[in-house]
Amino acid sequence: MRRPQKTCAICESGVRVVDFKDERTLSRFLTERGKILPSRLSGTCARHQRQLSTAIKRARQLALLPYIKGFGG
Amino acid sequence: MTRQYEVVYIFDSALEEATINERLTRFNALIQKEGIEPPQVSHWGKRTLAYPVKKHETGYYVVAKFDADATALPEFERAIKLDEGVLRFLVVVSEGAQPVPVTAGKSDEEDDE
Repeated sequence: MRRPQKTCAICESGVRVVDFKDERTLSRFLTERGKILPSRLSGTCARHQRQLSTAIKRARQLALLPYIKGFGG
Repeated sequence: MTRQYEVVYIFDSALEEATINERLTRFNALIQKEGIEPPQVSHWGKRTLAYPVKKHETGYYVVAKFDADATALPEFERAIKLDEGVLRFLVVVSEGAQPVPVTAGKSDEEDDE
């Protein structure tokens, strides 16, 4: 049995380029520990998954997102 | 060849706004040339950092978009790096036109589908 295809949340919102400064949107694609969610779980398309991972990594450099959530207080 | 770049600065939040503006004009002068539009600067203001940077818990964020020649960048980045008041910065090539000034931090509305 194949599961129904999940739809890409970013395509649906009509965003073409993922912005690394929008950390509230980005945080939807993180696990509770702050890892990047695999597209297998989030359902994002390949293009947006690539953009997401770059954006999340940039946001981490700028301390907008944590590298690890809930570590050391 | 000029390209559009985007730079995010994180200033020490202990600095005063006047000092920050003075620094910004100094940095902007390095990339500015005649015939090129001045950078669009937007201040996000003081925000809590996701993790401490140089032992600071808060930072003053400033985002600027500018057109510049790639050859002007090393000098620009060096000047920022030498500035003690800048905790961290990031210069990236700006992709696509989508001016979304995110004034996040305090407001808590979520747009769930």
